[in-house]
Amino acid sequence: MSTQTVLSVGLLTLIGFVAGTVIFLASKFLPKEDKSLEEAARIREFLPGADCGACGYPGCFAYAQAVAKDRQVFVNHPCPTLAQDKEGMHRLEDYLGLKAKNKVGKKAVVHCTGKSEALADYKGINTCQGAAQVASGYKECPYGCLGLGDCVTVCPTGAISINNERKVAIVDWETCIGCGLCVSACPQNLIELMPANMPQYLGCNYRAARDIVGRKRCPDGCIHCKICVKVSQEGEVTWDETKDLPSFDKEYCLTATAAIEKCPRHIIKKTAAYREMSTISD
Amino acid sequence: MSNLIAIFFGMALVNNMVLVKFLGLCPFFGVSKKLKSALSMGIAVLLVMVVASVVTWPIFHFLLVPYNVEFMRTVIFILVIASLVQIIEMTIKRTNLTLYNALGIYLPLITTNCAVLGITFINIDQAYTFPESIIAALGAGAGFTLVLIIMSGIRERLDMADPPLAFKGTPIAFITAMLLGLCFLAFGGIIG
Repeated sequence: MSTQTVLSVGLLTLIGFVAGTVIFLASKFLPKEDKSLEEAARIREFLPGADCGACGYPGCFAYAQAVAKDRQVFVNHPCPTLAQDKEGMHRLEDYLGLKAKNKVGKKAVVHCTGKSEALADYKGINTCQGAAQVASGYKECPYGCLGLGDCVTVCPTGAISINNERKVAIVDWETCIGCGLCVSACPQNLIELMPANMPQYLGCNYRAARDIVGRKRCPDGCIHCKICVKVSQEGEVTWDETKDLPSFDKEYCLTATAAIEKCPRHIIKKTAAYREMSTISD
Repeated sequence: MSNLIAIFFGMALVNNMVLVKFLGLCPFFGVSKKLKSALSMGIAVLLVMVVASVVTWPIFHFLLVPYNVEFMRTVIFILVIASLVQIIEMTIKRTNLTLYNALGIYLPLITTNCAVLGITFINIDQAYTFPESIIAALGAGAGFTLVLIIMSGIRERLDMADPPLAFKGTPIAFITAMLLGLCFLAFGGIIG
């Protein structure tokens, strides 16, 4: 063996050894990691890990870091996705030893029944975004659901499906986590987040109240008769002047049984949270 | 002194790491989508370049040259730079969490970035003295940061532009990089 070989092998070993020792010493003598980081890593284990951003933090780990720093973040703003899963919520509550406020999650609703007739056969780019740019969609109603599934694509849990007959998106409340990604994906602004105990929603987004022609555009379209407001005694339905459409009380989520029955267009649709109120009225 | 200034601007502009020497192209495209992350990445690279130059220059001149084993420089430099970045990352993580959140995640990415390794080789190939090599590393890092910032600024605007569908995203970024490279070639005429 030439001296050069020995030297180069020796030198590499020596430098490797020195570098290893320095790293070892550094990890031993440097101050320990900020405890909140380790804590955040533990809290993250309880979170859904979908990184959906519904909590307002960029991803689950950022939320975990915020909770690790200040537990009140969890109390006041519990992870909305976890709030859908009672067991998971209990596990995190037990771990933190805290109770979260306002555990009602959110669910998406599509304000359209899809009954509006198609005006033409759309053969363009197969997204709602594309279809919406061609003469505000191919349906009679310019506000309706186009049913090409932009919301289906972004949904992280596959909770949205398309009814191909009526070309309308339908949200399954069992699997919806209320992240709101579909809300921004919809070019027609048809999707809205509702409290998970909201018993009904309006299946229409036809806002042009004074446009009488609009009534003919869809057999289901809101005719803005306001009968839903008139029959509701407890203020469960109010009139939203800006949208010119009925809106439902989001704070108490009252059941508007009378309005559901009286609506001439039958577009106040029951959600999965709807419960029969007959026992109370008897 | 004027020699040092010439080296600094020469490394930053005329012999720009990314656009003239084509080193460190992966972070150039990977981390140039947002101005903020581009700035963090640039500063992290600048820091590692300077520290790497400070450490590798003596190793080469006082260990490798006397024992006549210069051919070992690649493997030894990689080893040294990799462990150095580890230590820097560990130190930042444990002493300043805010700084770690801003820079730390980029440090493992540039452990053996070719631009970092490249500057240590350039220092030796150009036979720079110790102060010269530090200035060269500073210049190279500054040039890298500059290009990353310019690129991210352009790409943020490109997101809002409306190129043909096939060019959206990375393809149009490649074309932009080409034009940017042509611009930087013009610096060749300013400082010999």
